[in-house]
Amino acid sequence: MTISDERSTEVSGPVSGHPHNTRKLSWTQRPGLLSQNLLTAIVFGVIGYLIGHWFGNYLASGYSYIANSGQNSIANTLALAFGVVGWLGGIGALNYPFAKLFGVDGLEEESPVDNWSKYFRYSLDHKIVGLQYVVGVLLFMFTGGLLAMAIRTELLNPTTHIFSPDVYIKIVSEHGTIMMMMATSIIVGPLGNYFVPLMIGARRMAFPRIEALSFWIFTAGYMVIFSALPYGGFPTGWTGYAPLQTQAGPGMVSYLLGFAVIGLGMILAGFNQAVTIINYRAPGMTWSRVPVFVWSILATAALLTLATPVLFAGGLFGLLDKTVQTAFYVDEHGGSSYLWQNLFWFFGHPEVYIMALPGFGIAGELLPVFCRRPLFAYKVSAAGMIGVALLSFFVWQHHLFQSGINPDMRPLFMLTTELISIPTGFIYLVGMGTLYRAKIRFELPMLFVLALFFNFLIGGVTGVFLSDVPVNVTVHGGFFVLSHFHYTIMGGLLFAFMAGLYYWLPKMTGKMMNKKIGKVHFWLMFVFFNLTFFPMFIIGLLGQPRRVFTYATNLQGLNDFSSISAFILGFSFLVFFFNLVYSMWIKPEVAPANPWESLGLEWQTATPVPSYNFERIPVIMTEPYRYSEEGAPAFADFGPKDAPDSPTHTMA
Amino acid sequence: MSNSAIQSGQPSLSNEEREYEMRALISSIWTGGRLFIGIYTFMLASLVFSYFYLRSSDTGLLWRPDHVTAPRAFGFLIFGLSLVTGLLAYVGRKRLVMGSFQDFSVAAWSGVVTGLIALLLQIIELSHLSFYPGSSGYASTFIGFAVMNIVSLVISAYWLETTVARGMRIRREVEGENPEFSSNPRARAFRADVAAMSYFQVFLTLAGALLFAMFYLM
Amino acid sequence: MTNKSTNSTGQVHHLRRMAVVWVIASIIGDILFSIFVAPHVPPGRLTETAAKDQTDFNILFEMALPVLFGVWIYLSYALYFWGDKRNSDVAFSGDAARSNMKTQVSWMVITSVTVLFLAGFGTWALVVDHGSGGGQGPNPAFTPSGSLKAETAALLGKATWSPGSKNILPVQVIGQQWKFTYRYPTFGGFESSQLYLPADTTIAFNVTSLDVIHSFWAYQLGVKADANPQVNDVAFTTTKDPGSFIVRCSELCGIWHGAMYNNGAVLSQSAFENWATTTEAANAANTALLPAFAWTYVPDANGAAGGYYPDGTLTPYSPSEVYGSKQPS
Repeated sequence: MTISDERSTEVSGPVSGHPHNTRKLSWTQRPGLLSQNLLTAIVFGVIGYLIGHWFGNYLASGYSYIANSGQNSIANTLALAFGVVGWLGGIGALNYPFAKLFGVDGLEEESPVDNWSKYFRYSLDHKIVGLQYVVGVLLFMFTGGLLAMAIRTELLNPTTHIFSPDVYIKIVSEHGTIMMMMATSIIVGPLGNYFVPLMIGARRMAFPRIEALSFWIFTAGYMVIFSALPYGGFPTGWTGYAPLQTQAGPGMVSYLLGFAVIGLGMILAGFNQAVTIINYRAPGMTWSRVPVFVWSILATAALLTLATPVLFAGGLFGLLDKTVQTAFYVDEHGGSSYLWQNLFWFFGHPEVYIMALPGFGIAGELLPVFCRRPLFAYKVSAAGMIGVALLSFFVWQHHLFQSGINPDMRPLFMLTTELISIPTGFIYLVGMGTLYRAKIRFELPMLFVLALFFNFLIGGVTGVFLSDVPVNVTVHGGFFVLSHFHYTIMGGLLFAFMAGLYYWLPKMTGKMMNKKIGKVHFWLMFVFFNLTFFPMFIIGLLGQPRRVFTYATNLQGLNDFSSISAFILGFSFLVFFFNLVYSMWIKPEVAPANPWESLGLEWQTATPVPSYNFERIPVIMTEPYRYSEEGAPAFADFGPKDAPDSPTHTMA
Repeated sequence: MSNSAIQSGQPSLSNEEREYEMRALISSIWTGGRLFIGIYTFMLASLVFSYFYLRSSDTGLLWRPDHVTAPRAFGFLIFGLSLVTGLLAYVGRKRLVMGSFQDFSVAAWSGVVTGLIALLLQIIELSHLSFYPGSSGYASTFIGFAVMNIVSLVISAYWLETTVARGMRIRREVEGENPEFSSNPRARAFRADVAAMSYFQVFLTLAGALLFAMFYLM
Repeated sequence: MTNKSTNSTGQVHHLRRMAVVWVIASIIGDILFSIFVAPHVPPGRLTETAAKDQTDFNILFEMALPVLFGVWIYLSYALYFWGDKRNSDVAFSGDAARSNMKTQVSWMVITSVTVLFLAGFGTWALVVDHGSGGGQGPNPAFTPSGSLKAETAALLGKATWSPGSKNILPVQVIGQQWKFTYRYPTFGGFESSQLYLPADTTIAFNVTSLDVIHSFWAYQLGVKADANPQVNDVAFTTTKDPGSFIVRCSELCGIWHGAMYNNGAVLSQSAFENWATTTEAANAANTALLPAFAWTYVPDANGAAGGYYPDGTLTPYSPSEVYGSKQPS
């Protein structure tokens, strides 16, 4: 990845002498069989996979340790890696980097092919990438959710087993890994990419090619991590702890490479978002006028860009252990299994906040709209997010309280961990302050935001229990911690994602989501989320460790309660998917231009949003969220319809 | 932006608005270059952390039995060549700022060549090691270092090559324009790119010096 | 959350109402909790460690309850009274709605004080309770007095324990896929698959693993320590009365992780001594075949798993020479 301008910089067409008719169509725009799209990506991906597999075997099958084990991780790794490269080449992501070698710069930024097929191509339009991400993360989430159903089915009975322990542990590991990967992108990907430029009044992303690349890497990562199952799965859970990682079979390669690939996508996505937010804010949008959602994406982007490289390196070292037999994590050969734990959690804890901050952002963004009043303590909310982001780099060893390293550091990490609840508390101050004497509209997005505050409170308070070392002795590694992070990630982030979808889908698609079905979805999801996970706190306290296929028989009642609730929780997602299909295709209802009467910039432009977002660059006049204020100036000035020096502002 | 020529149906902007977006573009390149250094620092820092972690824990007294060291001759050569690459990128940019595209071009192409030779040597070095990858902690981290160095050298050469090729194309295509002075947007973006590139090359050289010292001298 | 105040007297009214409900609810909640729930909170009171962990949990919970109630009462109040159908006032607006220094500062002060208190309290509990039963690695930082002496004696085969001696009893826990075994250095280093402990004794668990990472979780003892290969992870607890407990692995260690558990018991001191000496004698032949007692055991690099490199010259040392008698730092 190199930095260069990724965009058209021509001052104007007539001056630089590129008449319309000589413009070359790029490969991603050509019609029919000549074009590059999802199909070519699949074909190239498969070809890449086969070549990589052959090459790996050619390189390494002569080594005795490979011949003796009958397991060639080099072939697996190269197959998957070449498959990813083939996938990216097939979709057209590598055309430009290749063309750059011949001095081509980002001038000919492609406008999307304007028909349905644009959603299956390498598109540089951030709105299309956003919609592609919506489908991508929903696919990810659906896969992970099905695996969760399988886990709860197995746990219905402590003695009668649906799956063998072998299959069960693969399911658990795959569920955790897929969900964690999905959750890092679930808001930054779809809603961040779609709405950040709209909310800051930008007509484009800073690096649209990097943005598109991040999406196609994300999809490649999905396939790589999924390839673990045909490879025989991996037994380590999403944390991939080392001696087990070293011991595991070829599925482990998919885990390590999958995290490295997804990590690359995360870095690129965060990179693009951070640069866009810093540089492309419309005139007048000072840092005290940036919408809270944008603040949260900026804080998340900081974590994505700085924490994820550590995961990438950790995964690379793991792959080297697997392929060329280095010993980074092998104690017997001079490595250390603690090294993985440190690298993993140095990434892993900021990762947790990558999955929390965008949810706070959505909550802060939606509350004023549905409370019809200004956001309370705007600056505190921004400070809270930045504070969480900063502190999250200094807490990773609280995952290792019982691991036997650095006992003398425990008070320190207990302190830093508990300090994080101060900036997190800011978010509650902002939320509760904004509810104060509001006129609350109980629309669907608002219900999800309120549920987030309810759920995250339980998640956050139990986090304090976990950070207390004496209590941690009992709750570490059990269902208590499992329930805790489901409360924060699912109860926080996923509810925020749903709030965001119900809120912004009318803008993205021009169609309203059905309110009645939506309410059924909300109440099922909210009630049965709590009924699923709250018993798990008790299960954990009563001594059930994580990732077990069997448990003490006296816990069967609670486990069954939790399982049955989980099935209904799973059903609530089917209701959501039904609502999606129903409202978008079966019985679409045209959305008003601004259904929630929001003052946000994203609602001020046309629906569907034109590829250039705004006809003129808006000028921001005042603070955001000045609801219910008589005589407050409009948030943005869009200028006169016809600028003086551009006589025709729409050209054919 | 340029819009009308390139994206049909897009409204034109006033000159003031175009300049606003142009500046956003230039500062994006600046910010992006710095942020990329941040990303890269954290990746290299993971290696440095691993090195010192394994070194200090010395599991099973197997950090570095007999003080094995990768072939020093290769090390000096590779580091020397990447030092030259970094210097050439730095000097090339200085010359470009002073108005000599010719000098920049020569420096950059030489930098590409030295970078590629370093890359080749780094790969060859891997077949001349006196230890197995998993024989010690040092050996493992050295392999990690070699792989990251290969990545660094590829990025370094690619970025140098693409900027200089781009500059040459601008000279060719935008008639009567010198990329070193022109106010043509393509030339302005090109200069910003060169600045970010040389900054990154200097960073790589400094980081490379630290890693070189860690793996070959310490 | 209760000290939110605004300029206008009409609004303080809301907060006063909430505060009253909050105080009553919190007091009732805490009282009910401490009477009906607190005594039964895991991990119980079988050891002093467990009892202290339970107390810590209860104190945290009694502090958490008002926080939960505060937010819940506020949310319920807001949703009930400030819904747009019921609330006939105009929504709060203007500068006072955007920020209120007094509220913000007091919120920050209250949360900071709470958090710092919790951190200080946690640290205090950790120190006085000798690590609270958590694994502290080979060089524990929070130790009961005499632990180093006892551990050194154990390694040299000179440790003694007898009823009434008040000595610390070192016990080694060895995790492997997928079972725990226990060695008693005080009794000739015999290895048993049953964990029996004497009552009223401070135990030093020395936890290690032969393969992957396990976690020794003696639930009712309030002990949890990761079993890492080549690491001696030390955790302390002091037993009280006899009773039984369950041991589970709480770190994912492969396919049969879920089945990696067994039961143990705290016996009276004389019963324990009786069991230990009998087992020592019965197992003597087996003990002679075991590796010499050490804190960690490294499987030979050319052992069951096979060496990485077949040519032999670069195969690492035979680890028992290195580890036979000394503890890696």
